[in-house]
Amino acid sequence: MEIIIDKTETLTEIKLAGRLDSNTSQKLETELIDLINSSSENILVNLDELNYISSSGLRVFLLAAKSLDAKGMRLKLCGMKNYIKEVFDIAGFSSIFDIYESKQKVNSEV
Amino acid sequence: MAKLSIENKIENLNKLAEFIENFGEEHELSPKNIFELNLILDELITNIISYAYEDDSDHIIELDINKEKDELKIQLIDDGKEFNPLEKEEVKLDEDLDERKIGGLGIHIVKEKTDEIKYKRESNKNILMLKKKLK
Repeated sequence: MEIIIDKTETLTEIKLAGRLDSNTSQKLETELIDLINSSSENILVNLDELNYISSSGLRVFLLAAKSLDAKGMRLKLCGMKNYIKEVFDIAGFSSIFDIYESKQKVNSEV
Repeated sequence: MAKLSIENKIENLNKLAEFIENFGEEHELSPKNIFELNLILDELITNIISYAYEDDSDHIIELDINKEKDELKIQLIDDGKEFNPLEKEEVKLDEDLDERKIGGLGIHIVKEKTDEIKYKRESNKNILMLKKKLK
């Protein structure tokens, strides 16, 4: 899995590409928790290029959402493929994150 | 029938993904079915690798997949400690962020994405038999 971080003044965007499973979730956890601790901007996770997710990946997003919640912020996710969104739905996760169809949709609301 | 034997190491999930990709191509499964098949087996095998073994030796996990008409029949065998995933407590999905637990989601996903799961313990092995209808 590739992780690309793109910081602007108002938004920190994390782009994920490839497979997010128990092989790669630790790497994301480290990066994401680091970012949450060091930034006060909104954090957007862009999943346009993510092809696979397992519960290990969901676990990282839940951890991130909890840390953000402690700072009064929410985790924003965008660009999920339909079958990935379905995993979020099954896990009952769709209500605890702010999920957007695309990055454009995020920009129009932020 | 397709067979895969994998050692109990998390990095072998890549071998699983490759195996399922090939199986899917050979049997002309849809991308969604390939994804779900990979997900089910990833969750189960990750559980086995993470929790089934109490020693540091190498163990082999055996996977068989059979496609019969519009149904997949899957068998997963490991020689770890006795574990029946069907007896695991259901996760609570409607809790607020604060209360949401991290564990148990994998098995929940497996149950949602399969049509039948049977478990038996035989000659010190866990044998899990699953059926998944192709949609």
